[in-house]
Amino acid sequence: MLFQVRPPAPKEADLTTVYDAIVVGSGAAGGMAAHILTSHGLNVLLLEAGRKLDIESELKSMEWPYDHPRRGEMPRDSHAITLNEYTVRQPPYAQGTEYKHVYSYVQGWGGSDYSKNIVVDEKDHPYTGTKYAWVRARLLGGKTAIWGRLALRLSDYDFKAKTHDGYGEDWPISYADIQPYYDKVDLYLGIGGHKENLPHLPDSLFQRTTRLNPSEVMLRQSLKKMNRVLTPYRAGVTTDGLKHNKYRSKCYGRGACGRRAGGCDIHAAFDSPTGLIYPAMDTGHLTLRTNSTAYEVTVDPATGKARGVAFVDSQSGQHYEAKGKAVVVAASTLESARLLLLSKSNAHPNGIGNSSGHVGHNFCEHVMGPSILGRVKDLVGKPRTLDDGRPGGFYIPRYRNLEERHPKFIRGYGFEGGGGTGMIPGRALSTPGFGADFKKTVRDEAGAFVHMGGFGEVLPRYESAVSIDPTVKDRWGIPVLKFDYAFGDNEKQMALDMAATGKEMFEAAGIEVLHADSDILTEGWSIHELGTARMGRDPKTSVLNQFQQSHDVKNLFVVDGSSHVSASCQNPTWTIMALAWRSCDHLADELGKGNL
Amino acid sequence: MKREDQAGLTRRDALKIAAGAALSVPVLFTRAMAAPAASAPRFFTREEFALLDELAETIIPADSHSPGARAAKVAAYIDGRLAEAYLPVEADVQQRWRDGLRRVDTLSQEMNGAAFLAASAEKRVAVLTRMAANEKEPKTPEEKFFRELKGTTVHGYYTSEIGIHQEMEYKGNTLQQEYAGEEPTD
Repeated sequence: MLFQVRPPAPKEADLTTVYDAIVVGSGAAGGMAAHILTSHGLNVLLLEAGRKLDIESELKSMEWPYDHPRRGEMPRDSHAITLNEYTVRQPPYAQGTEYKHVYSYVQGWGGSDYSKNIVVDEKDHPYTGTKYAWVRARLLGGKTAIWGRLALRLSDYDFKAKTHDGYGEDWPISYADIQPYYDKVDLYLGIGGHKENLPHLPDSLFQRTTRLNPSEVMLRQSLKKMNRVLTPYRAGVTTDGLKHNKYRSKCYGRGACGRRAGGCDIHAAFDSPTGLIYPAMDTGHLTLRTNSTAYEVTVDPATGKARGVAFVDSQSGQHYEAKGKAVVVAASTLESARLLLLSKSNAHPNGIGNSSGHVGHNFCEHVMGPSILGRVKDLVGKPRTLDDGRPGGFYIPRYRNLEERHPKFIRGYGFEGGGGTGMIPGRALSTPGFGADFKKTVRDEAGAFVHMGGFGEVLPRYESAVSIDPTVKDRWGIPVLKFDYAFGDNEKQMALDMAATGKEMFEAAGIEVLHADSDILTEGWSIHELGTARMGRDPKTSVLNQFQQSHDVKNLFVVDGSSHVSASCQNPTWTIMALAWRSCDHLADELGKGNL
Repeated sequence: MKREDQAGLTRRDALKIAAGAALSVPVLFTRAMAAPAASAPRFFTREEFALLDELAETIIPADSHSPGARAAKVAAYIDGRLAEAYLPVEADVQQRWRDGLRRVDTLSQEMNGAAFLAASAEKRVAVLTRMAANEKEPKTPEEKFFRELKGTTVHGYYTSEIGIHQEMEYKGNTLQQEYAGEEPTD
């Protein structure tokens, strides 16, 4: 029924050979790089810092809470950092704690015992500087093991944002350059959604869409009158299945992805191992080495080009160097910046690929926090329906600063939300009182709530940066990142507008607003960190060219979110993969021509 | 399978708890003693456990729609979590629950002249009503304890088999060929 094909047997890494390419990191970007390069017949070594987890037995997507000894919670000696801790303390957040393990906040969602082995233990992986909720997943597949699945395209409103409003830099590509690669990603990995023909949120090549429940339909109809759109969640989930991929099942609407921190044990939701890496291993061209933490891109002193990657085996503590004709860095936006900055040599005294001094800078992401909670009176007391068996609720695309200019801020934001009942009535605790009336109120109202939260573009600023901390090291002795980052006035003004317009949209739809919050969550909350090695045409003000190739070192590529020039307000994973595909086509071509 | 067994398990559990409260009903006591050892509270005393069980049931009682917190074994869930408290940092959590239960009895003595379990149902509700007075911004230790008690009871109940299947009639976590809901028509 829900077939699960075992992963292919790994090949032993040969550290005496020179691979065609070494890829660092196995998430959305690294998985795509390994996949595309091997599809061109190149021999690739993929280094992943984390373990290979038996992910199906971690996620246990359909386990009932009462079948778990702690109703899904972690063992008591483990702790998830709370919002309050992120706000009142400075990193390193695990410092001074008596808990045996400390995890980032995603563990605070329900089902934390299912994802505790997926995110890093903050005790082993400290960082310093300004407050930042940095969620890292060190395992084969990286954060794709638990990602939120919203798969959106960017448009020329994003790629040409400077042309539009004068701020920052345009990307060195336009929508026309990336559109064929978005199409390839859609078809190869699968995405559900509904066509809306919006210039600022281009449609994908959709499989079966998820559906809307009654409160969401109500809101969609009402928004139309305001010339705004509510569309079913565009989920990076194969809703119809993929004939070309034996490792992934189609989605069966079990709803587990919404109940827990994400993750799909039948791999209907995209994850990098089953979507990209196992098929790449099946070509015979991919060698995977897990537990391999890269700490330096090594350099050939004669040419100044990348020679390979130095790494430490995180289990044995042994150090090694792997050699490659090209090095593809895809360790995640912040880890990639860390690796480049750590890779100092005579040829590259500020870190490899950093003659511009821009590595670590122009760091941006999405601002979150403002949210609206409403109640639909007509749905109170209605017979129970099944509302949560789908990979997501709805998305309201950006409507600010498209044709008109907002007086207080530039760029835009979108909302993610959902309505209807889930497995557990989330509003029970905030329903006042106790006793039979309380119980009945919880029961009657459970399906009547609708909720949404904003995701806004954070402007890239040179001074928003990470650098190498001069003293603090991680468990393996590798210097850690120091944050120098905070939201600015544009984000604060935008957040106020999110709360105001969110409320206005609910009210216009006749939804009773119970709560409209304009408070901003800690920096990092969106887990959409971007920038830090941006692309651009000018080597003085950018790190990479339009093919995510280092301006300084032609056989060095950085194919993850660090290359993004601006954050847009759309979730980045689909763009990361489309860009990596495009760049790795280029890499293979250049390598074949002897140009690297 | 499990769900069908629920009613039986629930009845047996209720007997165990009655025994825990040291009620002098010999037949019940004998049957409870025959139950597996796991039935004994792991953290609370039997007296504390009986009080907690009654408090949970008062917060989420059985009604014509479904069984309440007692049948859903909410007290056993709370007891288990506290027994597993990580003492280097959570010793105070254990103490808070002990103190909280004691305060309930003290308040009941003040208001009703009797311990909570010895008071009438109506008077028990009066004690909890007092404790719930400032639910949004609890100030006194009794009010703060009510919030913690209610929060944990709510979590324990709505994540239980009874809470999910009987009370909330949750229909999901199942395989669907089609998603529920409506597809946009335009």
